[in-house]
Amino acid sequence: MIRDSDDVIVKTLARLLMPFIVGFALYVLMHGHHSPGGGFQGGVILAAGFVLLCVSFGLQWTQRWMTRKTAELFSSIGVFIYGGIGVLCLILGGNYLDYGRLSRVLGVDVAEARSLGILGVEIGVALAVMAVMCTLFFMIFTAVDESGGQGGEQ
Amino acid sequence: MTTFFLFIGIAMCVLVLLCLYRATMGPNVLNRTAGISAIGTKTLIILLIMGIVYDRIDMFVDISMVYALLNFIGCLVLAKYLERSREVSC
Amino acid sequence: MEVTLLLEATENAFRIIERAREHALGLLDTAVQFTAEETHYEDQKRVHALFAGAQRRKTRFQNMVGTTVIMFGFWLLLSGIFDAFHLTLGFLCSALVGVLFHDLLFSNVRVGDMRVVAGRFIAYIPWLIEQIVLANIHVASLVIRPRMPIDPKVITFKSKLETDVSFVTLANSITLTPGTITMDIKDGVYYVHALSKKVADDLNTGEMEDRVAHIFMEADHLYVQDVLDAARLYQAMRI
Repeated sequence: MIRDSDDVIVKTLARLLMPFIVGFALYVLMHGHHSPGGGFQGGVILAAGFVLLCVSFGLQWTQRWMTRKTAELFSSIGVFIYGGIGVLCLILGGNYLDYGRLSRVLGVDVAEARSLGILGVEIGVALAVMAVMCTLFFMIFTAVDESGGQGGEQ
Repeated sequence: MTTFFLFIGIAMCVLVLLCLYRATMGPNVLNRTAGISAIGTKTLIILLIMGIVYDRIDMFVDISMVYALLNFIGCLVLAKYLERSREVSC
Repeated sequence: MEVTLLLEATENAFRIIERAREHALGLLDTAVQFTAEETHYEDQKRVHALFAGAQRRKTRFQNMVGTTVIMFGFWLLLSGIFDAFHLTLGFLCSALVGVLFHDLLFSNVRVGDMRVVAGRFIAYIPWLIEQIVLANIHVASLVIRPRMPIDPKVITFKSKLETDVSFVTLANSITLTPGTITMDIKDGVYYVHALSKKVADDLNTGEMEDRVAHIFMEADHLYVQDVLDAARLYQAMRI
């Protein structure tokens, strides 16, 4: 288990930075088709925010927002959103991830439907990436502790 | 003005090389960490200068913000790891 | 003779019974009093909990709205696209951040002070930049000389600051100034690594600390907001 750090600088900076990190990650996610970024990058920034919380406040406190179960649930949901949109296009008579076919469901023209479909797929990708990154980080940090640590016990 | 920023970028690249020397040849792991951190901040400035030279500053500001964020978190995680391992005592 | 004895004994018995009755009455009275006090205390505690809960809910709501507004401003600053679709997306995202992280941004800040603190903080930045430029020239002149007349040492000083945000502001100002690095803060004592004697002397005058204390209104100890809060609470209790 990661211990609570007693450093006031790191704790306060993490506390003040965390909402801005999540806001920036959502911005990168939502503006993937106007500026650099997209689903994968947004998910990585979200996961970096949770890593920052975990390092500065300890695993116990981070579990208010992200437990290992939530991470697994979110990774499944992300893959489900991605695959669901793809299969929906298949059902509507197009190819896999052929977003233009979504225009019949959403009630907008083809170009708009392509934009919205890409946005939905990117949200799914971001959720999956964030959840898998968080799971990896939690597993790595708890595994070091369970093996007895490598010294440094104060 | 573009030439001015180009020369600043070249000077920054030279400084990155100096920091890279410290990061590869550093006597212990703390020197390497400091070198990597300094390289991160200089890369940030180089990215912004690239944005000015290519005239796409709105794009490169986003990239440099992500770079700064990941640099900060990476240094923090590295420091947390070194705090618990035995290498720090040398 | 025997009759008078009997009479006396009866009288004694009556007196004892009377005293016992008085005792019992007294005991009963105190018991009733204690129960009344207990219920009164319980009532008071319930009212207090009600007030505290309402206060906490109100603070939580205020924090949510404040975080959402700040996040929406941040979004507008980043985005630069002002059509309805992106504005709606921005509002949804900032509301999500506000609901999730409402207690991180304003954990122990007096809300009424925020505007003054922001103004003083902006006024502090030019002074800090000037100090950074001066220290930069000094450190560069030290390092460029071939003999490198540096004198590194660790100085410690006890700070008079109170909140953690002011601690962090002072620590980061010290770290931003070339030649000095804050290594640790333990119980309000700063451990600072200084490169030369001049830099350490500049730090020891304590001007930077005074300015940071002035930003966060800790020098003058004018806690107007606390007085206002207490007044509102008393008014609510009287009704």
